[in-house]
Amino acid sequence: MGGVKYTEEKFAYGMLFPMLAFVVLFIIVPVLGTFWVSLHRDVTFIQGFKFVGLNNYITVLGKREFWYSLFVTVSFSLVSVTLETLLGLAFALILNEGIRGRGILRAIVLIPWAVPTIISARTWELMYNYSYGLFNWMLSAVGLSGVNWLGTPLSAFFAVVLADVWKTTPFMTLLLLAGLQAIPGDTYEAAIIDGASMFQRFRHITLPLLKPVLIVAVTLRTIDALRVFDIIYVLTGGGPGGATTSVSLMAFNYYNLGDYGIGSAISILTFLTVLSFTVVYLRVGRFQEGLK
Amino acid sequence: MNENFLKNILLVVGAVLMVLVCLFPFIWMIIISFTKDATFLGSPYVSFEFTLDNYRTVLSDPTLHFMDYFRNSLIIATVVTVVTVMISAFGAYAVSRVRFRGRLIVPVFVLGVSMFPQISLVGYLFKFIEELGWINTYKALFFPYVAWTLPLALWILLSYFAQLPKDLDEAALIDGASRIQTLYKVILPLSAPALFSTALLVFIAAFNEFMFALLFTTDYRARTVPVGIALFQGVHGEVPWGNIMAASAISTIPLVILALIFQKYIVSGLTAGALKGE
Repeated sequence: MGGVKYTEEKFAYGMLFPMLAFVVLFIIVPVLGTFWVSLHRDVTFIQGFKFVGLNNYITVLGKREFWYSLFVTVSFSLVSVTLETLLGLAFALILNEGIRGRGILRAIVLIPWAVPTIISARTWELMYNYSYGLFNWMLSAVGLSGVNWLGTPLSAFFAVVLADVWKTTPFMTLLLLAGLQAIPGDTYEAAIIDGASMFQRFRHITLPLLKPVLIVAVTLRTIDALRVFDIIYVLTGGGPGGATTSVSLMAFNYYNLGDYGIGSAISILTFLTVLSFTVVYLRVGRFQEGLK
Repeated sequence: MNENFLKNILLVVGAVLMVLVCLFPFIWMIIISFTKDATFLGSPYVSFEFTLDNYRTVLSDPTLHFMDYFRNSLIIATVVTVVTVMISAFGAYAVSRVRFRGRLIVPVFVLGVSMFPQISLVGYLFKFIEELGWINTYKALFFPYVAWTLPLALWILLSYFAQLPKDLDEAALIDGASRIQTLYKVILPLSAPALFSTALLVFIAAFNEFMFALLFTTDYRARTVPVGIALFQGVHGEVPWGNIMAASAISTIPLVILALIFQKYIVSGLTAGALKGE
């Protein structure tokens, strides 16, 4: 009996080994390495390095630049996730109705998700272009003057948000649609008999029942948005004047300068930001669950 | 009656807006890819002229290396997909079917790993890859990509395997099949839809990846499409938008077609993987 159990256990570890080997070697070790580097100074890997404890963190936390990009990153995530949740919910509600061509509509909604991020970023970059972009062309068609979309801090911020919302709304739509489809239809029928209006039904049935799925979806998307890099790197390069520099991009810039200690400290702080948001969201989610 | 009318209007208007929002940048990409002189020294809108030149240039000009990037992307994404699906199927089978110590820690551990920002890996990973002499090779992307896509794949397969009745493999085991045989002959054939959706999601994720590819490649030998397109520059400083959009269209259309044909699998994969997180 013990022999069987032992064999089974050995088998399971064997099956898990390749997966764990990949994850440990190419994720866990690098993250620990980055943490280790963040405790050192002048880590150019050529000149050697000196242990400086938490000094890099103190330096980073003392930089206005860091707090500014943290602010940019968090605002980006909040605005972007809010917009895509609202838009995704609207799309999901439409797709959940028995309208004709629902299959085609659901396929079309997937398109932005299938376009690689960099490619969509470049397409948006072209549409935002001051002299020949689609948006300014549309403005000029109705007699308005063009806007320097990527040229001012506020418009560049919203330009990035818009491009990201376009790219990521399908994901939200699909999750919320799955959530909607799990709500039993007779709940609505009963409410209709009781004379509840469309909006009352949405507010008192759909939203509460969708809440668990909403929390999961918002958490997943927020984790992702707080790590934003690709779309900003291509669309604005973090500019103008750092107005769209996310923490990931800031760390990347320090790596590029060869300052691995500071870059690593920012990277670890980025992870801690993601972690704290996740913990808060999950707490809030469970808290509301408990109230029911 | 009145409410139904209002609802229908909202639905139709909403559906039209939805289609417009989802399609217009994609359509814009296609239009510009067919526009003559799309470096836009003049305004292209006054004189839109249809041309295939952009496609011709991108497909045939060897100095652009677009075909190299495209081939690299296809090879890397395909190999990563096969390996990730295989490895995560083993893992998911072990966690969902076999009793062993630490059984419940594995999925939590793997999911936790997926929370790391990519940037927190690259500083050290770059050094690692450089020391192994892997810069500008497929290996430099293959190993990190497999590690990076495993959590998603494990999560989808795990939630699918968990739905399959345990009696199935118990019956096979009693009939004298080994664990491996049970996996190959019973579980995997039954999981075809889940394997398929996992494969699609992993493929698209690998095709999409940017940061690793940007850092671990410096020329056409292993550079992928996203990096190629991000760094696409004109010779004289002007941005060759026509070429960029043609290259974008060539790279995107296969993915869009895959997504359209197999949308059911993608939907079930994405939602299964994510909703189990509750």
